[in-house]
Amino acid sequence: MSFRGEAAIIGIGELPTQRTTLGRSMPGLLGDAARLAIHDAHIKIEDVDGIITEGGDTYPAFVAEYLGLRVRFATGSSMMGASGATGVALASMAVMNGLANYVLVCIAQARNPALGGGAEGFPGHGSEFDFPYGPAAGANNGYGQIYQRHMELYGTTQEQLAHVASNQRFNAQGNPNAVFDGQPITHQDVMDSRYVNYPLRLLEVVMPCGGAAAVIVTTAERAAASLNKPVYVLGGGIGLDDFGGMQKPEITVSPVARSAPIAFNMSGYSPRDIEFAEFYDCYTILESMCLEDAGLVPKGEIGPFFESTDTTYKGEFPINTDGGQLSAGQPGLAGGFRHVVEAARQIMGKAGVRQIERNDLGLVNG
Amino acid sequence: MTYGDGGGAKKAGKKASAEESSYNKPLPRATLNPEVSKPFWDGTKKHELWIQYDRRNNKFVFPPREVSPGDLTPMDELEWTKVSGKGRVYSYTMVYQSVIPAFNEDVPYVNATIQLDEGVRMTGNVLGLTEKQKTNHELRSNQRVEAVFDDVTPDWTLVKWQIIDDEEPPAPPSKE
Repeated sequence: MSFRGEAAIIGIGELPTQRTTLGRSMPGLLGDAARLAIHDAHIKIEDVDGIITEGGDTYPAFVAEYLGLRVRFATGSSMMGASGATGVALASMAVMNGLANYVLVCIAQARNPALGGGAEGFPGHGSEFDFPYGPAAGANNGYGQIYQRHMELYGTTQEQLAHVASNQRFNAQGNPNAVFDGQPITHQDVMDSRYVNYPLRLLEVVMPCGGAAAVIVTTAERAAASLNKPVYVLGGGIGLDDFGGMQKPEITVSPVARSAPIAFNMSGYSPRDIEFAEFYDCYTILESMCLEDAGLVPKGEIGPFFESTDTTYKGEFPINTDGGQLSAGQPGLAGGFRHVVEAARQIMGKAGVRQIERNDLGLVNG
Repeated sequence: MTYGDGGGAKKAGKKASAEESSYNKPLPRATLNPEVSKPFWDGTKKHELWIQYDRRNNKFVFPPREVSPGDLTPMDELEWTKVSGKGRVYSYTMVYQSVIPAFNEDVPYVNATIQLDEGVRMTGNVLGLTEKQKTNHELRSNQRVEAVFDDVTPDWTLVKWQIIDDEEPPAPPSKE
């Protein structure tokens, strides 16, 4: 079975990404995002009969109860920052198979620095074999090493990847949901920003934030009656990697090398057909390697690509048209969901000042 | 030996307490199963590097596990084996700001992934770079390194990596 347009997103909701969400809880943020999505989809709350949450901090049964939903399908997608995109794939499967008619996918991140950043994480190898050697913050340590190796293998330069950050900052201007709206930066600003851990400079690293988003997924049949332009799910693939990444064969190759071919095969389209991309971008280097692994740019040629291509919403190949996570902020568990929501927004033609013209076929890596 | 003792605060013995309290960086803290990795840390205390070896599949396993990844060979068939302690830099990052405040007195320093000649990789610090090499980020992949052992407390010895200049290493093990 294939998605191939059998399911569609018919409503989106996104809260402004903020540095902190003081006074707000995860279920509360989910409620606000859900209200926006349900309203945007022009359905009634009673129509929602399925729910997908992240599943860990937002247990789906409790969220359904908190929101007052009477659902017949519920699950958590449990994929950290990729939970939203994964949730859309799961929702598509659910509606195509009759488990639900309208599935609410809703992901939130509350953030109160006074309560700690959750650095403890879950049981794993890091605290025993990595922490004693002084890792850089968050995932910086691994992505610094990926960046270094990409530069050595392919001659990629920091000047080239700095365009990722400055182009996306341009895109974020005028986006009220972007935390860096009103704070434009230049390519030189990126190059002048301090090292957090070489080769990563501060402006190439995402800023942790809070926020929430939600979408409504239904069958193509029901979507055809929607007042919104339906955003058909044509194909999808889910790739996984070693969590630590220490032992994987080649750290400059992402799981997108496996997920993208599945999505393209399912859709009937190829990388050449794609008009715009919304790609996970916790770091300039992560987005860069994923664009390569999706086949949009040949492996190792992402540096020259960014040197020669305008990737702003005004450009020939728009990428992360809302600013991405780098310039709109990373709302934690909802981080990758930002890319799904912006792709849907562009296809629906609701992107306002940053609306792109060629908006029929987008590729999302959430 | 106590495992999972992050700050050394629970350590018995006056002498040990005094020495441990001067070391303010994280010690290895097992969150999965301290017993399975005990031979590794027993080895570093003797200034030796011991790694699990899956004889059935002729491959080394790290970090220590209760099953061999990819083969699911059970733990009682994984043999703790003393290895050469030599390897190469797979990649690295030069840390200017650590998530752990105590490390910020050492910045910039190298946090690297080291590929042992036996095939597995581990995280570690590469020592011995000059200030000029640090400033210019002169470390490169494939730089040969050798394990050195840092007795940071009476109970804990960390593995670090010293730059060496030696001939090509032997080929990693291949499946027979």
